[in-house]
Amino acid sequence: MEIWRLPISASQRGKLISAGYTSLSSLSSISSSDLARGELNVSESEAMNILKVASHSRGSETSNASCSIVEGAQSAWDMLHDEESLMHITTSSADLDNILGGGIHCKEVTEIGWSSLSLIVNSVLKYKLTTAFGSESIIFMLIGGVPGIGKTQLGIQIAVNVQIPNDFGGLGGKAIYIDTEGSFMVERAFQIAEACIEDMSEYNRFLRKDFQECKIKMQPQDILENIFYFRICSYTEQIALINYLDKFLSEHKDVKVIVVDSVTFHFRQDFDDMALRTRVLSGMALKLMNLAKRFSLAVVLLNQVTTKHTEASFQLALALGDSWSHTCTNRIVLYWNGNERYAYIDKSPSLRSASAAYSVTARGIRNSSSSCKRIKMM
Amino acid sequence: MARLANLETEYPVLDSTVRNFCASHGIFSVEDFLIHDLYMLAAFAEQNNSSERLKEGIAQVLSIIDDMHQPWLNGMELLEDAKRNKHVFPTGIQGIDLLLGGGIRVGQLTELVGPSSSGKTQVCLRTASNVARNHMVLYLDTGNSFSPQRIAYFLGKTINPSSAQAKNQFLQKVMSNISCHSVFDIFAMFDVLHQLESYLRCQDGRGGCQMRLLIVDSISSLISPLLGSSSTQGRALMTSTGYLLKKLAHQHNLAVLIINHTVGGEGGYSKPALGDSWKCIPHSRLFLSCDRGSNNYNVSILRHPSMASGKAARFVI
Repeated sequence: MEIWRLPISASQRGKLISAGYTSLSSLSSISSSDLARGELNVSESEAMNILKVASHSRGSETSNASCSIVEGAQSAWDMLHDEESLMHITTSSADLDNILGGGIHCKEVTEIGWSSLSLIVNSVLKYKLTTAFGSESIIFMLIGGVPGIGKTQLGIQIAVNVQIPNDFGGLGGKAIYIDTEGSFMVERAFQIAEACIEDMSEYNRFLRKDFQECKIKMQPQDILENIFYFRICSYTEQIALINYLDKFLSEHKDVKVIVVDSVTFHFRQDFDDMALRTRVLSGMALKLMNLAKRFSLAVVLLNQVTTKHTEASFQLALALGDSWSHTCTNRIVLYWNGNERYAYIDKSPSLRSASAAYSVTARGIRNSSSSCKRIKMM
Repeated sequence: MARLANLETEYPVLDSTVRNFCASHGIFSVEDFLIHDLYMLAAFAEQNNSSERLKEGIAQVLSIIDDMHQPWLNGMELLEDAKRNKHVFPTGIQGIDLLLGGGIRVGQLTELVGPSSSGKTQVCLRTASNVARNHMVLYLDTGNSFSPQRIAYFLGKTINPSSAQAKNQFLQKVMSNISCHSVFDIFAMFDVLHQLESYLRCQDGRGGCQMRLLIVDSISSLISPLLGSSSTQGRALMTSTGYLLKKLAHQHNLAVLIINHTVGGEGGYSKPALGDSWKCIPHSRLFLSCDRGSNNYNVSILRHPSMASGKAARFVI
């Protein structure tokens, strides 16, 4: 039982150690006023805080129940059964859902990367990207002005799809949309919501003919109402918001997905201190993981892609480097293949590497309409 | 080490006379006592009036200090301990087991380093499923990447199911030996390790299925938010974590497997994260990488107590 294990600030710890309190037992018999009055030079409230933290640590040691090794641990067998009952958020494209094992999982953080549209100075370059498929090569042309691969569309689609009611196989939950770039278009969200409701009535009509009265009572406005939208203008706002989400989610327990579009935008330009950037990003990732686990929600992060120059060839890699790539549970890379949009699973603990085609239509994300519908497995 | 004043309740011989004497020499805590010249102190105590009292007090403090250090072990005892307790656990992956001469060793801290998506979590899951057949496993997960389906898949591959029910029973028996806990900051991990320590202390006494494997996936996610700032607290916490894990491994006969990621180094090569201070803490370090687009993985030894570093192997998961 040592002092360095307590979550108190470094200066308080230094003061405690220099005054001779190096183990928790030495703090057990002292009162907060004695602590404040002594050589420590801390205020009364700080002293009370220190003692509270110390007694909490002591309490967790003695209350160790014999049935579980560690409080809060679950056995793998129980988790297997929990996972089988876990719902997925569909992406509205059957191929994409198939490779994702049903859709976006709750309790996990999924990162989706898209190809950057930043103009390369002096020329339009062609990049040959040999992907995981081995010999297939993809010609990637950067043209300014094209709206992109569809990451914001996918984000909006997920925010709408999470609200599909339980009767139709959805989660019936709300969504949080954190917008850092200002690319969320309300009219588009309305369009996608309308299309989603029309699809639901179609489904209703075809399969549940006897439930004539069960008309869809949802209106596009209801769907929009259930998307909580936050607009972020700097990285400090982003961190503050993630810290605030804890409180927000305890009040709104029916939120089932957090979409952050895009998580790296404010960290890429004008960030001088790289060490600070790594620290802030890792801390943010841990907090998001914590939220995902505690509230059983899905976290979808949208990221940009940069080029890495290795061994005289250009490689596309997700922005923010290796440390950030390490922190997410799953990673999906969106890319162009000819005229088609593809999604490829780059990292996953349990899913096989595979890619699927999808398309962005007026009604949102849908299956690609090309004749070649084969899903390419690894 | 406590202040002498606080020790009075437990050891009444350290009363005010003794303490005043010590205070006159600038000694307020047990730590100050250790730094001081004890011969000089004893000589001064002789000259004092209540010399008996003072000598008793000094002897008492010395015996308190004696209780604090680990017992001495000689080479034969260490060898006995190694033969009896410090077994080797096969990971279940042939390439790695051959490379390491058996597998991961109990009592040692083994680190898996590699770029993103190079198979580190998969190796941990495979090892957990292998060790869980006979022992208990604790998996500390920082990135929600523990996948029970993968464990079930690995276990399913190794048995011939006579019936679905027998397979189910086998899965239940083995998977109940794996406990998974999510930790999202380093102080939570310290709490968990502390509870684990009390559990292991009770376990050493009784028999039955014992905990033999601790996996932390990944230690670098917990430590990265702390490193790099101007204060040294991050590095201190990192080294303390390393020593705590090694202590648990040695004293309670655990094999500890931790995961670290890589960062860009000079010349575009990736190097393990957490810096040079961390480099010497794990006993063995393995570097994993993946051939893009296939199931072939490469592993090479960066550091190992008994195998040559630089040796490499390939494996498939």
